[in-house]
Amino acid sequence: MREGNDHRVTGRPLHYNRWVVVFCFGVLVFLGLFYYATQKIQYVWRWNRTPIYFAYQEEIHVTSTIDGEVSAITVEGDKARITVTGNGEEETYTTPKQDVRVSKGEFISPGDTLATYKKWKAGLLVIGLWITLKISVLATIIGVIIGILSGLMRISENPALRWSAVVYVELIRGSPLMVQILIWYFVLGTLINDLLIANGWGQIPALWYGVASLACFAGAYVSEIVRAGIQSIHRGQTEAARSLGMTYGQSMRHIILPQALRRILPPLAGQFISLVKDSSLLGIIAIRELTKAAREAVSASLQPFEIYILLGLLYLVLTFSLSMYVQYLERRMATS
Amino acid sequence: MIQAKNVYKTFYAPHAIHALVDVSADIAAGEVVVVIGPSGSGKSTFLRCLNRLEHATSGHIYIDGIDILDARTDINKVRAEVGMVFQSFNLFPHKSVLENVTLAQKVVRKRSGGASTEKAMALLKKVGISDKIDVFPDQLSGGQQQRVAIARALAMDPKVMLFDEPTSALDPEMIGEVLDVMKTLAREGMTMVCVTHEMGFAREVADRVIFMDAGAIVEAGTPEHFFTNPTHDRTKLFLSQIL
Ligand SMILES: Nc1ncnc2c1ncn2[C@@H]1O[C@H](COP(=O)(O)OP(=O)(O)OP(=O)(O)O)[C@@H](O)[C@H]1O
Ligand SMILES: [Mg+2]
Repeated sequence: MREGNDHRVTGRPLHYNRWVVVFCFGVLVFLGLFYYATQKIQYVWRWNRTPIYFAYQEEIHVTSTIDGEVSAITVEGDKARITVTGNGEEETYTTPKQDVRVSKGEFISPGDTLATYKKWKAGLLVIGLWITLKISVLATIIGVIIGILSGLMRISENPALRWSAVVYVELIRGSPLMVQILIWYFVLGTLINDLLIANGWGQIPALWYGVASLACFAGAYVSEIVRAGIQSIHRGQTEAARSLGMTYGQSMRHIILPQALRRILPPLAGQFISLVKDSSLLGIIAIRELTKAAREAVSASLQPFEIYILLGLLYLVLTFSLSMYVQYLERRMATS
Repeated sequence: MIQAKNVYKTFYAPHAIHALVDVSADIAAGEVVVVIGPSGSGKSTFLRCLNRLEHATSGHIYIDGIDILDARTDINKVRAEVGMVFQSFNLFPHKSVLENVTLAQKVVRKRSGGASTEKAMALLKKVGISDKIDVFPDQLSGGQQQRVAIARALAMDPKVMLFDEPTSALDPEMIGEVLDVMKTLAREGMTMVCVTHEMGFAREVADRVIFMDAGAIVEAGTPEHFFTNPTHDRTKLFLSQIL
């Protein structure tokens, strides 16, 4: 027992553990200093107020629409039915029976509260999270499709296809995503929506321009990943497939793409983690994704520290679960 | 079965490389032809032109009467009739041995799963791999991989088999098992064109030996003619180097 029990159990030298302690200590010191600084500026932490930005109970008032007398209140299970009659009219309101505010025979005017009940509603951050998720999933799917198609075009022998892919990739990679979002919404969006209106069709909501900008942006990077992935598969694979009589499409589908996919999964995952993070830019075209929602929550609550820290953690949860999922996929592919 | 008429193949990479120069050959059904020649003489290119993996620059190539250089020919149909075995096996690494042999049957020949599995099992038995059908290619030895590759090509019921140095990447102790499979095929009457340095094989099963040099066919004849009294100096030189 030269280096003590720890070494035998973990297979690591003692000083390893010492540095683990140092690391944890460092983290605590950092957090402590941060907290101390906020106290110095007299920031009041109110973590207890943040849950309402995830979910809250809203009080809903059931109000009468007519003048008259409450002629009947019947209770069925956990629902109450309130009937108001007057001036030859009759109206029945169904509500949860939690808090009926009127009694039989009472006279009421329009707008009077008959009953109230509480209902759970999603808070701003949950709404934003949902939009961010929706945009990310849609943009990922469309981005993969665009990426595979343009990646295949990029390696095609047809110059029209190849050059289109090159121009697309270079255009997208050569300008900031923020600028592309602005162009998608304020240039292409205005153009398309005005044309649609001129033809008597409805407008396309901003969300879809956001999805389009992210999908096109990611698509260009995916295109390069796909191209490199396909080119990394040995030429002999295509030749073997084609020599058996498979068409170009069949050999791509059964032989090349499945092999390429395994290799490109890690860089692809990185691309889509970026996409989730990049979706935070879409607030500038009035899409209420997570970041925009958080900013609204901040202006309502005046609790920027709590909410922005939560915002960062929420993105971390999203990207972390995504990368765990991809690791799971990789492991499953490796065994199959 | 195979007719090549005045075939030229020039690569531009970027200088012109004349890989095939006026190559003509007539290979009858059931004939076994061995192609030999020094490195870079165009043997692989000739073979690859026969199933249009390389598109000949000029000339005519007919497989079973079909002009494969005609733009209207459905080359995939022709390729299904022409099996090819590569020096580096080129098995599909993401498919099991069985799937390697069934895939093209299903995709190209549109056979049912049952029929293609049955066919694959019979062929794998024939090449001596029936106990390893569910493993992946990287778990097989080179010789086993090459035998699976032969089974994969045979599964399409080809009329012709092309072999491009099928034993060159193999350890010496595995060459025999692959050559044995090829000899069996030859005896069963398969039309075969083999590029190989295995002179024993050429002597034993070839109906004809073709010697190529610098993209041209220098000399062709029976194995006896070749190994006893070759006419050309270049053939003599080549044979003296490898025998
Ligand atoms: N795709 C290609 N691009 C450019 N040149 C090529 C290509 N394929 C073959 N060549 C050239 O064509 C010539 C003939 O090559 P080929 O592979 O047919 O020779 P080989 O007789 O099979 O030689 P080896 O015994 O080394 O396999 C060589 O000079 C080679 O460099
Ligand atoms: Mg060769």
